[in-house]
Amino acid sequence: MRKVAIYGKGGIGKSTTTQNTVAGLAEMGRKVMVVGCDPKADSTRLLLGGLAQRSVLDTLREEGEDVDLSDVRSPGFAGSLCVESGGPEPGVGCAGRGIITSINLLEQLGAYNESENLDYVFYDVLGDVVCGGFAMPIRDGKAEEIYIVCSGEMMAMYAANNICKGILKFAESGKVRLGGLICNSRKVDNEKEMIAEFARRLGTQMIHFVPRDNDVQRAEINRKTVIEWDPACNQAGEYRSLAKAIEGNTMFVIPKPLAIPELESLLMEYGLFN
Amino acid sequence: MAAETMDTMELPDLIPERERQVLRKGDAQTAAVVDMECNKASVAGSVSQRACVFCGSRVVLYPISDAIHLVHGPIGCAAYTWDIRGALSSGPQLHRNSFSTDLREMDVIYGGEKKLEAALMELIAKHRPNAAFVYSTCIVGIIGDDVDAVCRRVSRATGIPVLPVNSEGFKGTKRDGYRAACDALFNLVGTEPTEGLGPYSINILGDFNLAGETWIIKEYLRKIGIDVVACMTGDARIQDIGRAHGAKLNLVQCSGSMIYLAQNMQKRYGIPFKRVSFFGIEDMAAALYETAQFFGAPELMDRARELVRGEIDGIMPELKRYREKLAGKKAAVYVGGAFKAFSLVRALRLLGMQTAVVGSQTGDKDDYRHLQEISDPGTIIVDDSNPLELARFCMEKNVDLFIGGVKERPIAYKMGIGFCDHNHERKEPLAGFVGMLNFAKEVYGSVCSPVWKLTPRCAERYVQRKEAVS
Repeated sequence: MRKVAIYGKGGIGKSTTTQNTVAGLAEMGRKVMVVGCDPKADSTRLLLGGLAQRSVLDTLREEGEDVDLSDVRSPGFAGSLCVESGGPEPGVGCAGRGIITSINLLEQLGAYNESENLDYVFYDVLGDVVCGGFAMPIRDGKAEEIYIVCSGEMMAMYAANNICKGILKFAESGKVRLGGLICNSRKVDNEKEMIAEFARRLGTQMIHFVPRDNDVQRAEINRKTVIEWDPACNQAGEYRSLAKAIEGNTMFVIPKPLAIPELESLLMEYGLFN
Repeated sequence: MAAETMDTMELPDLIPERERQVLRKGDAQTAAVVDMECNKASVAGSVSQRACVFCGSRVVLYPISDAIHLVHGPIGCAAYTWDIRGALSSGPQLHRNSFSTDLREMDVIYGGEKKLEAALMELIAKHRPNAAFVYSTCIVGIIGDDVDAVCRRVSRATGIPVLPVNSEGFKGTKRDGYRAACDALFNLVGTEPTEGLGPYSINILGDFNLAGETWIIKEYLRKIGIDVVACMTGDARIQDIGRAHGAKLNLVQCSGSMIYLAQNMQKRYGIPFKRVSFFGIEDMAAALYETAQFFGAPELMDRARELVRGEIDGIMPELKRYREKLAGKKAAVYVGGAFKAFSLVRALRLLGMQTAVVGSQTGDKDDYRHLQEISDPGTIIVDDSNPLELARFCMEKNVDLFIGGVKERPIAYKMGIGFCDHNHERKEPLAGFVGMLNFAKEVYGSVCSPVWKLTPRCAERYVQRKEAVS
């Protein structure tokens, strides 16, 4: 089983990219489980055709310890399995602790057992690695390959660089490695070249460049992944390519985060500051 | 390290970072009083005898007997401070419960505010207290529960004061807990009318009535003609604290815990304060005289003199008998506040005993200067000590008695020396003139107990072994 976590700046398109990629892998016949690690519990909406999943933490809170895997895991598009950690309302409690509790419970319930015959588990993690709780999926024994979704926008690159610092910390003590950057295009000037160079300097690769296409929004309005909504459209092909690239990926590195001046000079070089 | 292993080895060295918090007083000719390092966070790894911020707040407010004390946190915080001190009450016994919101995993994740509000509403409906204190523990500080907002809401709904105590354990030392408790008390002061208070009205700050001391002191003051509006917090009631601003003077006993409240009351209400001690004959008498003098009424002073004379005459014959048995014995003193240490040095001297080791958890520079002035040459003076150091000092000085609290008791017993609890767990009042006699009785009972024939003292075995080697 390959254990994958998707990180990236808030609003960059992590959940959309994750689900569309998972749709591609599922279409290829892979058995994939998606674990949403966001209190909003909206990481599996496209695979499930709506916000249909009761979160692990809500179930735990309402039902107590006596929880079955089927209470918190639902089948989604093309045989994918969907789980939402869930968490508190904004401004109260500790969402980070929620992630820890939720993943521990999934382990106890045997969600990762051999008998589940999973090819992949994908963790879709909220925004930045803000505290220890949100680093839970990249601690030893959880996710082992990380993909960072970013764009050519400055703040997205800052966030990606920062996430690399988190990976570096845990890579030193465990098996977690960076698998690459996924560029989710915002149509920034020289975006593809800049992210490819950014990835090179981090010691990794741009595993795929996902062009901007309104079909993604159209599919989202219909609560579907692009592959389910219109299997023949161009963007469906892009996500299939990304899924294949991940399937065939062999480049797993400990990233070398950039110093801020180096990151700034990269932006200058590729014209954003002109 | 266990004390019993210590007699087979050399005395351990101090942790280097601690060296400037320990001082040995030189002989009378060369002794210059110096500033000691103190009033700072404990050195990591030194296993300080200090408690956490929350515990500091808890022990100060605990004796208020007609209030709910609700510990907002995991159950351990409440369990370990349940009935932590004697704190006798002449009325309600509500304070002896340890209420807790019992925060668990799901409460941490989803926040504890709703549980807190439900707990407060339930407790207030069931026990009809005159106020409620809500103590914040570490986890509450980390998850960011808005305790102040919950307290305001519940106070509006129930019509009683509901006071947040900002005592998250990681915020600092026990002293910060005292401060948080003082803040909560200060919010109560001034909430009740002051009509009917007599001209000679005072507050006592920093006596906790652990074994009935507050009652003894109040009785002395009553005989002299002085009324006590509120004792904070021994046998205290919410209403008394509410009108404490009507008093003319604050007597501050446990300076470590209450000086901050006294300063605030002086600033807002113009009430002056005096630092006093009720332990030992000299300090007790001085406290009464100073209070009488403050009001400037000759009849008060006359009655104070009469009272002191009568009390001393009453206890002296018995005290002399104990003194004969105890003369020349040596003691180690390690207590929370330095002011208590001053009193104990003097009280021990009255019994013919010498203080060989003296220290406190929370003393400041001035306190340690004063300790140097009143101590005998050679005395070890120590700030924020730890078990290993205390055991070491007891070995070095071969003391006959240790005076401290619950955390020092096992150190003393394991080393085969007598012990007197001058803290939470004492059952006999040690304040006032009668308290001096009780103190002498306890010290005699422990130091001269035949039990020590059966458990030889570590320090003596150590000395014998040393001699055998040389």
